[in-house]
Amino acid sequence: MPAEPHDATPRIERALVAPGHDGSAELLLRIRYGDGSSDSVTLDAAAAERLLDQCGATALEQLVGQPWRRLLTVLEQSGD
Amino acid sequence: MDLIIRNGRIVDGTGLPAYQGDIGIRDGRIVSVGGRIPGTAAEEIDAAGRVVAPGFIDPHTHFDVQLLWDGQARPALEHGITTVVPGNCSLSLAPLKVEHRPRLVGMFQQIEEMPDAAFDGAFEWTWESFADYLTALRSKLAVNVAPLAGHSVIRLWVMGDAANERAANADEIAGMQELLRQCLEAGAVGLSTSFVDVDERLQPVPSRYAHAEEIDALAAVLGEYGRMLQVVPEFYATDITLARVDQLAELSLAHQIPTTFSPLFDSAANPDNISRVMARVEQQMARGARVWPQVQTRPIDISFTFEVASLLFAGTPGWYRTMRLPRDEKIAALRDPERLARLLEEAEPGGNTDRFRNMRVRAVARREDDILVGRSLGDIAAERDSTPARVMVDIALANDLDASFVATDLGHNDPARVGALLAHPMVHIGASDGGAHIQSFATYGDTGYLFSRFVRERHDLTLEAAVKKITADTARIWGIAGRGLLQPGFAADITVFDPDVIDRGDEVVAHDMPEAGMRYVRGSRGIDTVVVNGAVAWSAAAGGYTEARQGQVVTR
Repeated sequence: MPAEPHDATPRIERALVAPGHDGSAELLLRIRYGDGSSDSVTLDAAAAERLLDQCGATALEQLVGQPWRRLLTVLEQSGD
Repeated sequence: MDLIIRNGRIVDGTGLPAYQGDIGIRDGRIVSVGGRIPGTAAEEIDAAGRVVAPGFIDPHTHFDVQLLWDGQARPALEHGITTVVPGNCSLSLAPLKVEHRPRLVGMFQQIEEMPDAAFDGAFEWTWESFADYLTALRSKLAVNVAPLAGHSVIRLWVMGDAANERAANADEIAGMQELLRQCLEAGAVGLSTSFVDVDERLQPVPSRYAHAEEIDALAAVLGEYGRMLQVVPEFYATDITLARVDQLAELSLAHQIPTTFSPLFDSAANPDNISRVMARVEQQMARGARVWPQVQTRPIDISFTFEVASLLFAGTPGWYRTMRLPRDEKIAALRDPERLARLLEEAEPGGNTDRFRNMRVRAVARREDDILVGRSLGDIAAERDSTPARVMVDIALANDLDASFVATDLGHNDPARVGALLAHPMVHIGASDGGAHIQSFATYGDTGYLFSRFVRERHDLTLEAAVKKITADTARIWGIAGRGLLQPGFAADITVFDPDVIDRGDEVVAHDMPEAGMRYVRGSRGIDTVVVNGAVAWSAAAGGYTEARQGQVVTR
């Protein structure tokens, strides 16, 4: 879902596959905050799968615009 | 003299221009450098046309276990590495109580991918203390070892199971301080800790449960000895890495210790990472803090199999969906001609085979497919009158999915950016991870790659600067006295190489772990002779490794 012009909810702005230090592919997400600032979060393959499932996405592009709370849930599961 | 290396182009580690001359060695030490040494020695090496440099020092390795049965740290030695630093990332083999051995084995297996056999009969556990561990190590060494003590095992010793559960109380912190003090007295060159690593259960290693006051208390002990703190920061998140740089700077300034963090690498997916982290490092170094980022020379490869869904396929949703299917359904889908045709069209639209053409076969289960290992899918496809994606599926199915492939140079792969980074005066070249990830990729040959790629091919560094980076600079950063320079009185750790040839070899599969366990390795190119404490430990002319065991535990 695309971000509203004045939406204060942090959302995924970009999703890219990136090489990890240990030779595995990782998912690098750019989060854009309501105040205009941004930050990156990296997910391993398992967490990335969970995020795609949670968002009902079949392609990385479909993650763009998703709210950050989706990510929070995925990261909480990583700590289980 | 015991050994004279004659007629070499001496690159002495200072960074000053090379010059011609001889090097004389007696009793394991350099006694003469430059000019023509009169007389003869028991052994002489003609180094005409070759560079004679201090032995290379690898500051980030996980050779801990391997050193117990292979004191040559193969193949590091044949790359000109004469000193290795094991015990990184919070893990060392000591101090360790008997009852904690299984825990440590699990952590090492997770990080090093070391097989069970490596711990089961390949060596005898004879130690608990750091001092006894070093005693067990000393008699076997062909390379020098500058060992770190691991925060996770120190925590485990003091806190037992609670090490994996909570922060330490004041008594426990005091106990860790005393234990670290004993390690440093025994010869540890510092302490390693990690904010990232996980154990075999994918749970955080013990060091990750430490609060800031615990790390500060341990850094205070390091300060008593002026020793190194090595850290694995949250390298995948720039903002957190910046916070760790600041934390290390405060520890460095407060306790007057050197600190180093690794890895720091470049990625097109996070292009601002390097510039932001280096700006913060420069800022903190200007305050007088010692915070050394370790940067590897080699690009990052990504491996994958059809057994697990790799994110490499996330850009092709049909493939990614297929890869995520249960095993039997996945095989059925790949064997279904119609479904496979759709996958092939998605991967190679309109016959464009760019996506998989340069990927290589990394390993196969079937012996008859061994000839495919190392070859590109494009090459095999041409031979079979097929396409790269199709042959990848064919190979995977023929091996019951037990085949792996590698996409090379996917990260840390922009030569201009990496070259500039390696040449930066505040960058510590290291982070090889030698001896780790052994079943995923080869962690050897980074020094050869430094010379071939960034000195010879691109000229990002001069020969002299590159040698200084991996010898004298490393020794200075780590406080390793008497090594890293070709000067009278220094240990005779010397690497002789052909500057026009030196390189890393191809990555190959080797079965040289205990009980023929497998790992990926790279041999060296252009290395002629490696001398450790005055003894020739590796010689191309003599056929490779020698019987020399003059390696030492490098203490203070």
